[in-house]
Amino acid sequence: MKFNIEDLPVLFPYPRIYPEQYAYMCDLKRTLDAGGHCVLEMPSGTGKTVSLLSLIVAYQQYYPEHRKLIYCSRTMSEIEKALAELRGLMKYRAEQLGYEEDFRGLGLTSRKNLCLHPSVKREKSGSVVDARCRSLTAGFVKEKKERGEDVDLCIYHENLDLLEPHNLIPAGVWTLDGMLQYGEQQKQCPYFTARRMMPFCNVIIYSYHYLLDPKIAERVSKELSKDCIVVFDEAHNIDNVCIESLSIDLTEDALRKATNGATKLDRKIMEMKSTDAAKLQNEYAKLVEGLREADEARDDGAFMANPALPDDLLKEAVPGNIRRAEHFIAFLKRFVEYLKTRMKVLHVISETPPSFLQHLKELTFIEKKPLRFCAERLTSLVRTLELSNIEDYQSLQEVASFATLVATYDTGFLLILEPYESESATVSNPVLHLTCLDAAIAIKPVFDRFSSVIITSGTISPLEMYPKMLGFTTVVQESYSMTLARRSFLPMIVTRGSDQGDISSGFQIRNDPGVVRNYGNLLTEFAKLTPDGIVVFFPSYLYMESIISYWQGMGILDQVWKYKLILVETPDSQETSLALETYRTACSNGRGAVLLCVARGKVSEGIDFDHHYGRTVICIGVPFQYTESRILKARLEFLRETYRIKENDFLSFDAMRHAAQCLGRVLRGKDDYGIMVLADRRFQKKRGQLPKWINQALLDSDTNLSVDQATATARKFLKTMSLPFPARFQEGISTWSAEDLAKHKAKLEEEKIRELQHGSGDRHVHGQDVIREAEGEFDEEGIDDAMMELDA
Amino acid sequence: MSRLAQRSGPPAARREGEEDDVCPVCKSSRYLNPNMRFLVNPECYHRIKNKFRKQTFEDIQVEREVDIRRRVAEVFNRREDDFNSLLDYNNYLNDVEDITYNLINKIDLDESERKLASYASRNQQTISLNVQKSLQESQNREARQVLEKEQARIRREAARREEQEEKRDREEGRRDVINMLASSDGDASRIAREGQQAVLKRSKTRQAAIQKQQQALSSDSSNGAPNGGFFIQGLKTKVEPVDEGPYDPFQGFSDKRKYFVQQNRYAWDRLDRLQKDTNWTAGGYDFREFCSRTLCEAFSGLGVFIGEEVTRTDPAFVGSVATVAAAEAGAGSKDIMMEDPF
Ligand code: SF4
Ligand SMILES: [Zn+2]
Repeated sequence: MKFNIEDLPVLFPYPRIYPEQYAYMCDLKRTLDAGGHCVLEMPSGTGKTVSLLSLIVAYQQYYPEHRKLIYCSRTMSEIEKALAELRGLMKYRAEQLGYEEDFRGLGLTSRKNLCLHPSVKREKSGSVVDARCRSLTAGFVKEKKERGEDVDLCIYHENLDLLEPHNLIPAGVWTLDGMLQYGEQQKQCPYFTARRMMPFCNVIIYSYHYLLDPKIAERVSKELSKDCIVVFDEAHNIDNVCIESLSIDLTEDALRKATNGATKLDRKIMEMKSTDAAKLQNEYAKLVEGLREADEARDDGAFMANPALPDDLLKEAVPGNIRRAEHFIAFLKRFVEYLKTRMKVLHVISETPPSFLQHLKELTFIEKKPLRFCAERLTSLVRTLELSNIEDYQSLQEVASFATLVATYDTGFLLILEPYESESATVSNPVLHLTCLDAAIAIKPVFDRFSSVIITSGTISPLEMYPKMLGFTTVVQESYSMTLARRSFLPMIVTRGSDQGDISSGFQIRNDPGVVRNYGNLLTEFAKLTPDGIVVFFPSYLYMESIISYWQGMGILDQVWKYKLILVETPDSQETSLALETYRTACSNGRGAVLLCVARGKVSEGIDFDHHYGRTVICIGVPFQYTESRILKARLEFLRETYRIKENDFLSFDAMRHAAQCLGRVLRGKDDYGIMVLADRRFQKKRGQLPKWINQALLDSDTNLSVDQATATARKFLKTMSLPFPARFQEGISTWSAEDLAKHKAKLEEEKIRELQHGSGDRHVHGQDVIREAEGEFDEEGIDDAMMELDA
Repeated sequence: MSRLAQRSGPPAARREGEEDDVCPVCKSSRYLNPNMRFLVNPECYHRIKNKFRKQTFEDIQVEREVDIRRRVAEVFNRREDDFNSLLDYNNYLNDVEDITYNLINKIDLDESERKLASYASRNQQTISLNVQKSLQESQNREARQVLEKEQARIRREAARREEQEEKRDREEGRRDVINMLASSDGDASRIAREGQQAVLKRSKTRQAAIQKQQQALSSDSSNGAPNGGFFIQGLKTKVEPVDEGPYDPFQGFSDKRKYFVQQNRYAWDRLDRLQKDTNWTAGGYDFREFCSRTLCEAFSGLGVFIGEEVTRTDPAFVGSVATVAAAEAGAGSKDIMMEDPF
């Protein structure tokens, strides 16, 4: 359908639109017009991605600035889904407009997923694929080849040079699959095709890391212009992604490998000195000037980028004492030796970077400044030496990144040495964590550089937490409720067993046999009444295992077994995918199944249980993080000191966002239905932290139920769901046709005018007005009429 | 050779054949150096000459390298601000590193030693000056660290107190409601609601108070007088030309007393008597001077509040307090109560 939002004509590739989609688009437009950032929470299964794409594509095609869209998602399958949506949208636009627009949309993921080289693509580890690819594609390798030396090149990469650099692939939208096929046909590398075509794309869809991980972002994303529109989808975990991208763990093994790497480099330097001393001299001369000069040859084949080095530093000359290659290697070796001595300590150490640097200096005479340059200096050296087996130097590279980070940030980072893996371990296996405490550090360059950043997800409550933690301000911050023609999902909070005993995964009572039995009864009852699939989430693997063994002893599993197949998620992803497959088969063939999994595991993030794959989801216990982790403790302290976020507030926020993610798994569209059970008495007080759309559907009477009450309510709900509900009952209420939309818009505009006359409001359409107005409609000709009609 | 332990007790009497002891590392023996002491390695029981220093690094080469570096660093201790340009400084670093590298790898050893010695003798003054400077710096740093830790502790305690108070308020509120319910026959839900509001109000007032306190703390620290020899470096004081106004020989200093007004005459017999005694007044002694001094002494302690002065802090490091605090939390030196946030 076709409609206008204010002056902007939008083509939407479906004949009907949900009111919340329209509201979402209005707010998006408002954000883009204002040139600011926003946080938007859109109920799951209401077509967030297609709304986003329709609006932004309309925006870039209509306005003369043609702002580029950078759409970041988390997983490969989400990227593929978004690309497919975009493809559909562009097809629809072409049909409506009567011509094909000049448009390019590409997706980018790691080399591991896009490589076509017959032997490289078979490598299991992503970093090995990267390293081997670099060895086959670096600029100097090609030069060697041209000089007639016997070196290997990747033909898929070479072929790209035969094409026009700005037209490596025909215009249009390419899914990852499509790229792979095209690449195989034309014998050209899909990865480099996408990388090199990025400046010519209207839409780029890739994973978070290409923007957030400074080691990659510098390389891949630096040419993107300021007015790009950046979207982070499924962003409820974005703070953790930020933190992980700047944290480094070192082990004794890594240090050993780093030493080997340094020794090997030393040898290479000696070799080069005797064969081609001019090259080293040349590098030296350039470093006297500064890194940027030495780096003009930064290209795809480069070794690595520095982690978050401030730009002014890059322009500065390299410190004199690490200019010479051999000096630098001695420097690195000394640093690695120092780290090794730190690993010898047998008690936990936690210290700030300044204190670490001070001790380092006292012992080894290593100063802060050359340390900061480590990562860049190493890159330059590796390039000068024209090394081909880059994977040999990966640990050394890690150490260099470590050095650069620890010397660059005085605050927001912490070093934690843990000599033992666990409290009970007797053999030490030390890990030195350089952990980032401040999510704002990694994302700051993104907010600084791009004028509009959109943070969105199905569950991103409370909205104000994100600007606080990530250090930005929003122009729009909105959470949408779900317009429904009938109540299609039933959230409940179960606080007691049938024996009226409290149920909770709280520390004091979690292993209480009464509690365990009540949880067991809950599962048994729901296994009886739920058709097809049930998904159960536990706070942790440990807890899940202990409950399962209790249930085994109590005969509860045998009971459940009568009604459903039982499958369990494990930390092993292969095992889990097998379990998932079996689960789906059992749901589809009518046997029905229960999947027991973990709230922070793989299943809870990104696996959908639509329709019969998930009719009930049960959250057993509040999924709190493991609070004994030192890293978490440190982060909590930092959040409190810096952002005034209380420890308990953060823990509870974090638990609830995971709970909401779990609940959202079973509802994947408006024609879907499902039951959401929050089974812990503590959920009662946490209700306000649920996403608005879930909270609104949660009736007050359903917030303090016992197991038998919950069972009765669920039965009643499933009965209504079994009544036929023709799509026409949704029309005009939870879905709008073009005429419905026109009608609602007219009403809205009237209101707008009235508001303006009274001096309040602005000329923009606000999403909230749309929803309010739509819900007004719902009251008038709501569900009762519809039901009456049914009965008749 | 990784762990060295001193042999217990002083060598009272020489053992037989001790002259034959030879250090496996440096090959010096007791025959040549009778005062040499040996350490025993408890793992392999090789006896090694006592160097009075524990080995720090696994790699003995690095151990040696660091010793050499220490020697070099004591002499070549120029600072960046000694140089006209960064390039000059970097070139200097490069040269020093060349010498060090040669010393470590025994290249042109004599030449390098000579360079080191001649620089040391020619630049004695600068060297000791720079030693002073870096000593000062490290003292500052230490003082700063102590203050940061203290700050973190204070803030954490405040947060914990706040939490406890909140909890207590909640409990009190609940008790109040129960009492009211028990003692009156009013509408139960109304009472519960009112009780809740009372708790809310209390917590709001407290929050406001805390905020005020924090503001006070931070504004306090913005002009905080340094104590314990602590000062911020590199702050250039910006002086704006001000209208000087009429000339004031005392530069704004006033001799007006804040806490007392001196009278012309005090009724005190002894004073009256002496005032009339020419023995005292002949030299021009003015008894008002005496009164003024006495009063001044009597009042001089007022207006000094020690409490205020000790808690002053510096704003420059408030930001890093968070990281320091996190470090302590990470070390697990104290535990945050977070088993069950409900
Ligand atoms: S250039 Fe492309 S195809 Fe060749 S190794 Fe690298 S990623 Fe694989
Ligand atoms: Zn010896």
